[in-house]
Amino acid sequence: MFAFLDQEVWAIIIRTMIMTLSSTAISTVLGVPLGLWLEQARFPGKTLLVSVNRTLLAAPPVVVGLVVFLLFRRFGLFGALGWMFTMQVMIIAQVIIITPIICSIVHTAAARNGDQIRSFALTMGANQIQTQILLIRELGNEIFFSVVTGFGRAMSEVGAIMIVGGNIRHHTRTMTTTIVLLRNQGEIDQAIFLGAVLMVIAFVVQMTGNFLRKREQRLDENF
Amino acid sequence: MKISNITKRYDKFSLNWQKSNRFDANVYGIIGSNGCGKTTLMKIMAGLIKPDSGAIDYGNLTPQDITMVFRKPYMIHDTVYRNLVYPLEIRGMKPDEAQIEYYLQMAGLSNMRNQYAPSLSSGEQQKLSFIRALIFSPKMMLVDEAFSNMDIESVALFENHILKMQKDAPIIWIIISHQLSNIKRLCDYVYFMHKGTVEAEGTVDDVLFGPQNPNLQKYLHYQAIVSGR
Repeated sequence: MFAFLDQEVWAIIIRTMIMTLSSTAISTVLGVPLGLWLEQARFPGKTLLVSVNRTLLAAPPVVVGLVVFLLFRRFGLFGALGWMFTMQVMIIAQVIIITPIICSIVHTAAARNGDQIRSFALTMGANQIQTQILLIRELGNEIFFSVVTGFGRAMSEVGAIMIVGGNIRHHTRTMTTTIVLLRNQGEIDQAIFLGAVLMVIAFVVQMTGNFLRKREQRLDENF
Repeated sequence: MKISNITKRYDKFSLNWQKSNRFDANVYGIIGSNGCGKTTLMKIMAGLIKPDSGAIDYGNLTPQDITMVFRKPYMIHDTVYRNLVYPLEIRGMKPDEAQIEYYLQMAGLSNMRNQYAPSLSSGEQQKLSFIRALIFSPKMMLVDEAFSNMDIESVALFENHILKMQKDAPIIWIIISHQLSNIKRLCDYVYFMHKGTVEAEGTVDDVLFGPQNPNLQKYLHYQAIVSGR
């Protein structure tokens, strides 16, 4: 079993959190506006774009990892950046995986309630910016859900970051890649311990978010 | 406000307001069966839907002067109070607490000001949406069946308020209602719509008590049956 204060374990946990929070933050900044825009914009090929986004939801992480690997390897399109087997490229892989998730959830929620919220805002005299602010505020629960879902996916992701990060000790090793390694080495107890820590972190993040949004859970008698 | 030759086509329905009408600071009623185009027309007037053809001349009215109260109003996911002050907030106006209390009292929501608005009953939501629209003193108020779930006492209170407003500081009211008692009591002029067109119009007496149009006669006949007369 890991010694509880083992510095390497702490470093892995911290590295995992930095990677996951960074990729979730970037994907939120990209996915939320994209989801709102997709719902409101009218252009040829919109249906195709929505379908592509939904297809990306099911994209296998190893395939994403492979594509990112091809782009960032030494002679790849972005090879000159020298990011292969670094935290940066692991975050990029995760952003590619979770942005479609956040975008899709926000798009679906906006498609359900967006018209009503915009009509209300317009009849109250709100301008474009005030309408968008209200829309984001009113879809807060769904946006929060999308972010938590994206965070969970990033936290549990292993295939893509294994390919692009290489699971290098003290460098790109994260909790999930460590669990895979421990399992391969037959260190099942340690793998279970790390898995439990992963679950606890996910639970704490989810509960913190819930606490911040405690007002929303009320009864609605008009069903 | 003036509307001219408005048309709007959907798959199985088309609205044809093939005439030019001016709306002054009076109370106008629109009646007609479900699906005759009343709400579509009202949404076009509110700027929520673009007509396929025709024109609306709002004159001196700006979008901030026009509001619409829906049968199923949208409630912001916040308290009754926050819902009520929302139109003031977006105008950068400081809420007048005495005025807010007056409207809350009128709607019977005074003791619910901190309640989560989406949890109100449908009648209470309609009352809140009504006072939320009144609070920023619009110059044109579009009311789409907004009395339908209110109790009789509240309907009477709101009707009295509208009549008082029209005496003191008249604005344009356009009211859709299936309750002819609202129309009789409030309206200066009434339009009867049938299958997307205006088939009859005139004063309350003209439209409700001496109808010549057979579709209007039929509509009023069923209204009378439902009312038990």
